Amino acid sequence: MMSEKSRQNKKQSIEEKLIEDLNSILDATVNYQTERRLWVNIEPDLIVETCTKAYELGFEHLSTISVTDWLDKGKLEVTYHLWSYTHNHLLTIKTKIDRKKPKISSLNSIWGGNAETCERECHELFGVDFKGNPNLTPLFLEDWEGPPPFLKDFDWREYVKKEMYDQKNPREKVYFEVRK
Amino acid sequence: MTETNEHEVNSDFTMNFGPAHPGSGNFAIKVEMRGERVLKATADPGYLHRGFEKLMEYREPMQNSVLSDRVCVLEPLQWNLVHAEAVDYLMGYEIPERAKYIRVIMAELSRIQSHFIWYAVLSLGTGFMTGFNISIGYRDYILDVLNLITGGRVYPAGYICPGGVRKDFPAKAENMIRELLPKIDYMRKFALKENPAWLARFKEIGVLTKEEAIKFGATGPVLRGSGVATDVRRDDPYEIYDELDFNIPVMDEGDAYSRFKVGMLEIEESMKIITQALDRLPKGEVRTPTLKPIVKFQQAKGELYIRNEVSRGEGAFYMVATGQKTPYRVKIRGPSFTHMIPIVEHLLTDVDYADVPAIYWSLYQCPADVDR
Repeated sequence: MMSEKSRQNKKQSIEEKLIEDLNSILDATVNYQTERRLWVNIEPDLIVETCTKAYELGFEHLSTISVTDWLDKGKLEVTYHLWSYTHNHLLTIKTKIDRKKPKISSLNSIWGGNAETCERECHELFGVDFKGNPNLTPLFLEDWEGPPPFLKDFDWREYVKKEMYDQKNPREKVYFEVRK
Repeated sequence: MTETNEHEVNSDFTMNFGPAHPGSGNFAIKVEMRGERVLKATADPGYLHRGFEKLMEYREPMQNSVLSDRVCVLEPLQWNLVHAEAVDYLMGYEIPERAKYIRVIMAELSRIQSHFIWYAVLSLGTGFMTGFNISIGYRDYILDVLNLITGGRVYPAGYICPGGVRKDFPAKAENMIRELLPKIDYMRKFALKENPAWLARFKEIGVLTKEEAIKFGATGPVLRGSGVATDVRRDDPYEIYDELDFNIPVMDEGDAYSRFKVGMLEIEESMKIITQALDRLPKGEVRTPTLKPIVKFQQAKGELYIRNEVSRGEGAFYMVATGQKTPYRVKIRGPSFTHMIPIVEHLLTDVDYADVPAIYWSLYQCPADVDR
């Protein structure tokens, strides 16, 4: 029977080996966050190349694509969360793109419909343009003509007050004029 | 409901499957037909889009905990758990041992009742009303227990909250759960009976190969029904799952029947987990004692991608904290998002219209977690 300590050591050495492999193959510095969680920062032009390499290394499950809006820095951070069924680790690939002209290449060459659908969502809610994705039609919002609603500078409370508040109806006052 | 299609040469007309179809949920699929044959399908989500990710950026974690119920109507306790774990990690909370056990028991009960609904909608979709009625009836026994423990039959209102669980088990809860297990077992055996009509509707229908399943991002029973032995509870364990003994049912065929059967076999494993957790249930606190009802989220900094095995597959939260009262960004990954858009569009090409419900419901859909 392997003792708890030696099992821990073995786990650690497997993890170190994986980080080393990722460092050399992806040609970037892979960081350890917590147990089974790794992340790496890359340039936006390298996204397809890096994801292809990660895929070949066993990170074959694209869990999701997310966007974080860093309003102060004028950047949108696109994060790709990849899980590996062979290594049992999650690799988060992060890249920052310009907030005014958010453009990045699509990953549909690797994950087909899955990547395309995740990108459709990010396009609709954050306005990111995914080059190479043939179908960026809206998923959720119907007849929406406003700005991408999940951006930090879109205040939905203001928007609803402006568009939906029927001031003649006293009942609606309760919802729209909240005491602070 | 139907319209003739003049633009497409191949199809005769386009038809809407849902959102008013009984049992389709708040979800629609536009199918292009030629006679009885479906040529192409396009998913049309958005009927349940409530913008939780944005809403959570405006609310504090304890409020979000209640909101997280609504991510999926059919498995609210499991979504409570994913949310609570994300906040626990960012706040650095140590969860009391008893709370971890209670969380697991509640999550597994929620999984079983959700699988019962799956059997119910599969029956409903294929005209087997007896199956629907029995299954929903047996689910109610579980809801009674959830009602006793959380105070809500369907929505627990954030029972599993950051720091542990809201309240300890009432005195008779343990006994009630033990008495519930034989009833669950009866229903499980009923669902697994190989009814010839059932086999005819589901066997060799909607085949998803192993490679396709991985490429399209399938998880949970859909992935395991295509022959991939993986489970977040085993591969990326959380709470106490690494200490428990349970199997991962896998089927290789990849058709509608194998997906369904994996789900029904999982109920037995969930029962094993509940029994083990009840036997070992330690005494003690159920919430971090120092924790007040308000989570001081200003102390949290950093981010995490937390994954859980919810009934339908991989449910995940990506939470970014920057020292404000509320999370800076929340991303929710619902398992049905991939099942109900790319996979359903892939499977519903060149099939008979009569098979559409069988394929659709075999993917274990929840429109709520597609739209969020």
